[in-house]
Amino acid sequence: MFKASTQKGLAQQGLAQKGLAQKSSAQKTLVDKKNGAWLEKKNISQTLVTVIAVIICFISLFCALSFGAADISFADVWHSVWPNDTDKDVGFIQRIIWELRMPRAILALLAGSGLAISGLILQTVTRNPLADPYLFGISSGASLGVVILIAFTGGIFTVMTPVAAFAGSLVAMLMLMLIAGRRQSQQVESMLLAGVALSFLFSSFTSLLLYHTDPQAVTAVLFWTMGSFSRAQWHNLLFPTVVISACIIFMLAYRRQLNAMLLGDESATTLGIKVNRFRIIMLLLSSLITATLVSMCGGIGFVGLMIPHIVRFFISQGTVFGILLTALVGGIFMIWVDILSRTILVNQELPVGVITAATGSLFFLTLLYFRKNRPS
Amino acid sequence: MSQAPKTSKSALLAAEHLSWCTDGNLILDDISFAVEQGSFTGILGPNGAGKSSLLRCLYRFVKPEQGMVSFEGHDIWQLNANDYAKNVAVVLQETPSHFNLTVHDVVALGLIPHKGIFARANKTDDEKIIQAIAQVGLAHKDQQNFEHLSGGEKQRALIARAIVQSPRLLIMDEPTSHLDVRYQIQIMELAKSLDITVIASFHDLNLASAMCDNLLVLNQGQLVCQGTPAQVLTKETLSEVFGVCAHISEHHQHKVPHISYYYGYIPDEHEHEHGKGEDHV
Repeated sequence: MFKASTQKGLAQQGLAQKGLAQKSSAQKTLVDKKNGAWLEKKNISQTLVTVIAVIICFISLFCALSFGAADISFADVWHSVWPNDTDKDVGFIQRIIWELRMPRAILALLAGSGLAISGLILQTVTRNPLADPYLFGISSGASLGVVILIAFTGGIFTVMTPVAAFAGSLVAMLMLMLIAGRRQSQQVESMLLAGVALSFLFSSFTSLLLYHTDPQAVTAVLFWTMGSFSRAQWHNLLFPTVVISACIIFMLAYRRQLNAMLLGDESATTLGIKVNRFRIIMLLLSSLITATLVSMCGGIGFVGLMIPHIVRFFISQGTVFGILLTALVGGIFMIWVDILSRTILVNQELPVGVITAATGSLFFLTLLYFRKNRPS
Repeated sequence: MSQAPKTSKSALLAAEHLSWCTDGNLILDDISFAVEQGSFTGILGPNGAGKSSLLRCLYRFVKPEQGMVSFEGHDIWQLNANDYAKNVAVVLQETPSHFNLTVHDVVALGLIPHKGIFARANKTDDEKIIQAIAQVGLAHKDQQNFEHLSGGEKQRALIARAIVQSPRLLIMDEPTSHLDVRYQIQIMELAKSLDITVIASFHDLNLASAMCDNLLVLNQGQLVCQGTPAQVLTKETLSEVFGVCAHISEHHQHKVPHISYYYGYIPDEHEHEHGKGEDHV
């Protein structure tokens, strides 16, 4: 009785959502049709963007094979990659391309995608837009692990390198989580602060160790810590390829859960997600990618932070396309960074990390500037 | 003032002797109540009374130290988290985030309990999402950034997510705070129109009075009274629990208690001026 009169009264007053219910039912069919079409169109355009990104990725790879210390024309690259009998002898060029540039370009692609994905994971599960393997101290931890290995075994790079890197990154991650604590509300802020502090701590240990190591090793290690793809060879590409593809597949499978993490731990819990376990698995995954890449090509900053943001400017990160595009854009970016690092100075190679930091920060600041001045 | 807990067999959700403490402070103290299938239950109480904590116990975010919460007679902590999420949807106050999720993405999150990890959203799911967005009147903002919505629109988008979750119980934590009057009524009407069991916490007593079948009043972690709005919203409760002095009349249209506050009086003086006869109990 009382309930009925309540509803009747509200309806009479016209307060019932100001016709929200009626509007929705009357327009439902129309909206359904319109939205359905829109959704299809959106899917097509997203597919198109992804296809274009894949094409750009191939073009970039092709350019990476052509540019370098020895100038090789596009035609020669084409003939080396798809040789046929009538061609003139391209043996020397072919060797440069197949044995030097190709693995290097593929490693750059892997590193870019891996770091971008790693950054995306960190930013999502910690809900911190500034999260990045570099800023969280994970890269520094991995570097320290490698440098400790080098300092104590004397060997430069061995099979144990990725293991040492992963151990280092795990220690960094563990310390990060211990310091940041389990208090959900404070985690986001304290994690970044702790990460930056840890990053400096590990870097100082690395410097200290390097100070006491054989000077010859130091030069190699120093160049490596600033990032370089010069160690790329076919036989050591398999491991990062497997790790990064597996992580991307894992992320695609759990994309909905990742999105739910963005709305907060409580909301995610109410959707049936075991938040703490999920976060730890994702952080481990991120450490694994970072460690693999650090052991291969040293610390490369800014990519993990920047690429997810750049992609996010244009496309919702929550979809399959968002994740794939993040990986692709990261890869493309890194291929071009590698091209720059090989060509910017004559007969010399710049550390990749220097270029990513410079271009990355400039691009990021520009984007932020325009975003800030854009009428919202 | 407090009444004996009514734990009937038809209850969808029931709390029995629920106690929860954090850092040694007793936040919830021996709370028992039952929520009937199809009812709209409001939780009232001053700031810090334990409303949100109680809801957290109900939606399985924190585990009570003592007592239990049961859903259809089963202890919710014995249930699988995912199964519970299929039955119970929760709308919390929006959390700020700087990530570019569209309204569509946010609403699609409601599918999580129903979808395996590799399962793609099929046509039925897409239709479900679009319908839910239309139902809350956000169809035109489908592809907009969730962060760019107004407070009321965010709340509606979250309700659409709950609709997609197709639950039997909807729990809302202060769904109308920060909203203007129009949105408050809109959100409440929307929740009512879903025809499912709803539990929500409120600050606006008049809104709670108009919307709820049952009210629970918490004070300092204890359940001080429960019952229909007419039983619960009395001058005594308001003065004891909220420390305000109010005149309670009948809403001229809905026949539910309507509260008018007195300003600048202390309760005792006021008691003298207005006889008890005016109370609508």
